[in-house]
Amino acid sequence: MTLDVVFLFLQQGVASGLVIGSVYALLALAIVVIFKTSDVPNFSQGEMVMAAGYIALYLLVFRSMPLWIVMPATILAAYAGAALFRRLVLNQVARANGSPVNLVIATLGLSYVLRGFVRQTGFGDTPRSFPPVVEPQSIMIGQAAVTTLDLVILATAVVVMAAFFWMFKYTKIGRAMRAVGMNPKAAQLVGVDLTRIHMIVWGLSGGISAIAALLISPKVLMTADMGSIVTLGFAAAIVGGFTSLPGAVVGGFLIGIIENLVGLFISSRAIVLAPFVAIMLVLVIRPQGLFGGRVEIKKV
Amino acid sequence: MPDLLELAGVSASYGRIQALSGVSLSVPEGSIVALLGSNGAGKTTTLNTISRLVPVQSGSIRFDGKAVESMASHKVVEGGVVQVPEGREVFRDMSVRENLEMGAYRRKDAATVRADFDRVLDYFPKLRDRLQQRAGTLSGGEQQMLLIGRALMARPRLLLLDEPSLGLSPVLVQQIFGIIDRLNKDGLTILLVEQNAAVALSTSSYAYILENGEMALQGASDQLRRDDSVRRTYLGH
Repeated sequence: MTLDVVFLFLQQGVASGLVIGSVYALLALAIVVIFKTSDVPNFSQGEMVMAAGYIALYLLVFRSMPLWIVMPATILAAYAGAALFRRLVLNQVARANGSPVNLVIATLGLSYVLRGFVRQTGFGDTPRSFPPVVEPQSIMIGQAAVTTLDLVILATAVVVMAAFFWMFKYTKIGRAMRAVGMNPKAAQLVGVDLTRIHMIVWGLSGGISAIAALLISPKVLMTADMGSIVTLGFAAAIVGGFTSLPGAVVGGFLIGIIENLVGLFISSRAIVLAPFVAIMLVLVIRPQGLFGGRVEIKKV
Repeated sequence: MPDLLELAGVSASYGRIQALSGVSLSVPEGSIVALLGSNGAGKTTTLNTISRLVPVQSGSIRFDGKAVESMASHKVVEGGVVQVPEGREVFRDMSVRENLEMGAYRRKDAATVRADFDRVLDYFPKLRDRLQQRAGTLSGGEQQMLLIGRALMARPRLLLLDEPSLGLSPVLVQQIFGIIDRLNKDGLTILLVEQNAAVALSTSSYAYILENGEMALQGASDQLRRDDSVRRTYLGH
């Protein structure tokens, strides 16, 4: 391998990695925001992405609605669905037995329900492709080839993340979410309505999942099992420290770039291993993740 | 003075463990009432049933004539009953300023919130120099001041104070209780939970003593201070 080729591969790997990494970053954000405010890793995140993808597909292809209706409708449906699940199912589970394990199991239940439902409708039987939001045209950035669709994906993801961070940092509701994440009891004592905050957090997480679905669906084949892409969101979240939102974003981009570099330099068959090697390396060197802060000792 | 807060026969439990059985107490408007007892007697649980963090099994809680026992916790805060929790329950990764602003979370009157912000800093001038500092890096005494300040930002009519002296040096305890006294003189009604019975009895006008989740003794604070059994058990002489 000559130096020229190495240089070319590096450019291509980083460019493609940033594009797919931006989607992983969104997925990681969706996971971390729920974990931060309720200590629950949401194992139905992938199926939320999948279900949102099929809602969009249904409206667009089978109902022939225009894209400018399909996109907000999908995001809203995902927001409402996730918020209602939190309010109706998880609140009930929490009241019956407050241990987080039961909540985690309930999210697993949701993942099976969603997958079963999509299988039942029959849409998931044949792998389908989602029509791209923009007509893909090839563009060269340096020596890296990307498509206009790639640029739209990256730009949308970055804008969504920026809006999310702004909301988290500067709005009253965002501050309340941070307060719940730091100390739920103190948040209640200043008058934060926990039920409402949890609903909004789940809704946001669902909405972000829907955006990720809209971005990724033109690039992948849709099946009822496409939710497994969230594994990479989990990988990104773990690399970033699992409780850090900026960490989730950095982790997402890192995983995307590592995947692509491994694919180019080693073998495309090694891609599936790359995220897990990255997780192991990070956990060995820095057990709390890149942005995890100090390790806290909990009293049991 | 009419009673601002009235508990009648309140019981509460954690799973199978009975934490409170039939607790009754009343807090007249404008007073400081102390709730004493040893560790695990149910003092904090009593406050948490009032704040609606612990469900009430039976009995009634009335604040200003309104039934509290079935309200949501944020409605209790909105109604003017605000708890200063025990320990260091600040929002660690927020600045001191953000912590104080969180205290006014349920208020919509921006102008008076700003005025109250200044008033709180007048009570606790030390916090003024630390407004941008992360709350988790404050000393124990400063965190206690921040907690009281945060509660004041909600404009309470009744302050529930849980162990404000916990883990503080005698000098700081004196300082904090000086401020509690001032707050009361400025018109705030206070229900004070303490293990430090000596300080609590000299600050309050009336006191209740809890034992194993039941009300064991009550009376005017000066009387309890002279009571032999109280002196032996709670004052250590």
